[in-house]
Amino acid sequence: MKINAALVTKVLTKFIREESHKAGFKRVIFGLSGGLDSTVCAYLAAQALGPEQVIALILPYKDFDPEGVAEAEKVAAILKIKWQKIDISPQIDAYFSVFPTDNVILKGNKMARERMSILYDFSAREKALILGTSNKTELLIGYGTIHGDMACGINPMGDLYKTQIRELGRFLNIPEEILNRKPTAGLWPGQTDEEEIGISYEELDQILYRLVDLRQNPEEVIKAGFNQAKVRRIIEMIKKSEFKRKMPPIAKISSRTIGHDFLYPYDWDK
Amino acid sequence: MCYFQIMKVALAQISPILGNLEKNLTLHLDLIQKALDNKADLVIFPELSLTGYSLKDLAAEVAINTRKSPIFSRLLEASEKIDLVFGFVEERDSRPGLVFNSAAYLSQGRVSSIHRKVFLPTSGMFEEGRFFAAGNRFKAFNTRFARTGLLICRDFLHYCSCYCLMADEVGMIIDISAAPGRGVANQETQGFETSQMWELMGESISFFSSAWVIYCNRVGFEDGAAFAGGSFIYSPFGKLITKLSYLEEEFSIQEIDLEEIKKARRSWPFKRDDRPEVILQSLKNIIEKQNED
Repeated sequence: MKINAALVTKVLTKFIREESHKAGFKRVIFGLSGGLDSTVCAYLAAQALGPEQVIALILPYKDFDPEGVAEAEKVAAILKIKWQKIDISPQIDAYFSVFPTDNVILKGNKMARERMSILYDFSAREKALILGTSNKTELLIGYGTIHGDMACGINPMGDLYKTQIRELGRFLNIPEEILNRKPTAGLWPGQTDEEEIGISYEELDQILYRLVDLRQNPEEVIKAGFNQAKVRRIIEMIKKSEFKRKMPPIAKISSRTIGHDFLYPYDWDK
Repeated sequence: MCYFQIMKVALAQISPILGNLEKNLTLHLDLIQKALDNKADLVIFPELSLTGYSLKDLAAEVAINTRKSPIFSRLLEASEKIDLVFGFVEERDSRPGLVFNSAAYLSQGRVSSIHRKVFLPTSGMFEEGRFFAAGNRFKAFNTRFARTGLLICRDFLHYCSCYCLMADEVGMIIDISAAPGRGVANQETQGFETSQMWELMGESISFFSSAWVIYCNRVGFEDGAAFAGGSFIYSPFGKLITKLSYLEEEFSIQEIDLEEIKKARRSWPFKRDDRPEVILQSLKNIIEKQNED
């Protein structure tokens, strides 16, 4: 699971530069939470394009994560990237005052989609391509909001496990406090991913790496010393979230159908 | 056979525009001019250099017929001054409806040889078999420099392809490639782990065939995949003569001494002692036996 961080940095900065230019953008934009993934993304983007071409939006809901906001502001200042803070509370509260709920998942999804909506609006205003910050761990287990934090133009982070992103962050010299923060989706004050998922990222990544990268079957992973119930649960999470990683299926009627047999590359004519 | 002892080879490690023949033709012509300015004898472009790699349904739309295509004519014209190797999608009058992943060697305004990729990778991230028809032969041909064999990317990793070329008396194997990089665990290299696979093959094949091996890979991204670069030349003694950077566009010119083929074969008579008739008979026996099962 070790990565050659210098090589990964080179590949990802080239990816950001080439793919954004091919798509016709000089600038990129993304949500900066002050957590590990978006911070590493900010460092890569600044290195790839120069800080003046990078826009970070800090999008807090009330004071759910004041520490994150402070870290995000610090990162923006260190990197000298452009940034703006927009409080999403008014529109979230307005919605839930009409459709009240105690379900934190519903609230979290709504917030993620509000942030997405602002990012896409700013993407058009600022002519900046949206960088996704979802990592391989959360994409695989579906720990993200479809059409929310998973929405983006290109994703430089999606083939790196959470623990690999931490390794990359160390290489990029991101602030120590961010390396050591407990990852949080910011669903409620003090929430942490690991408590919510019920497994540490270290263990989760080890299991995913064996299942996905090494193509081991569940029995092999369990034999290697991982808890059977955890392995089974992770496989269920992967299965149940496949829909989040795909374009929705189109009902096939004709002899040539988008997604079935009308097949063109994403980088068509680029 | 060898009219020249020293030849100058230009390697064009480029990043073509996906599906845009006109722009890629311009890119080729510009670099051909650069090669001419540097007095190169041969300029080599990567696999599918005229079209880009991840074509999917575009493959059929960018296919060219070597007898009719004005783009191909422009390259034939350019080859009056310098030998050229490049990759393109080919359609042929004799095989209507099929398209091939092809490589052309052009020289003195004529087609010296066209190789059609035999081993089309179709698994994991690769889907060539879905969009291309496969070629069906490996065959060497004469050039002004040495008897030469063309291969395309994965062809080279099937060592039997290289063996056929060796049996057919090659002194120079040219493999054009669009190999994406995978694997970043190795701390000791500046390239992807898969680059080492190509280098391992380059070293082995050049040494055990006593032939020059010239590998021209591409760079750039297509649909998220990074092409690894790291084009190289190995001598008939299995020595690395040049290696281009990983991941970066580069244009490099290297002199190679064709006498090395002779010298290597004197030192290591693998070619002299080769027995293609034994290999052929053994293969026949093996296949017959398999058919019996």
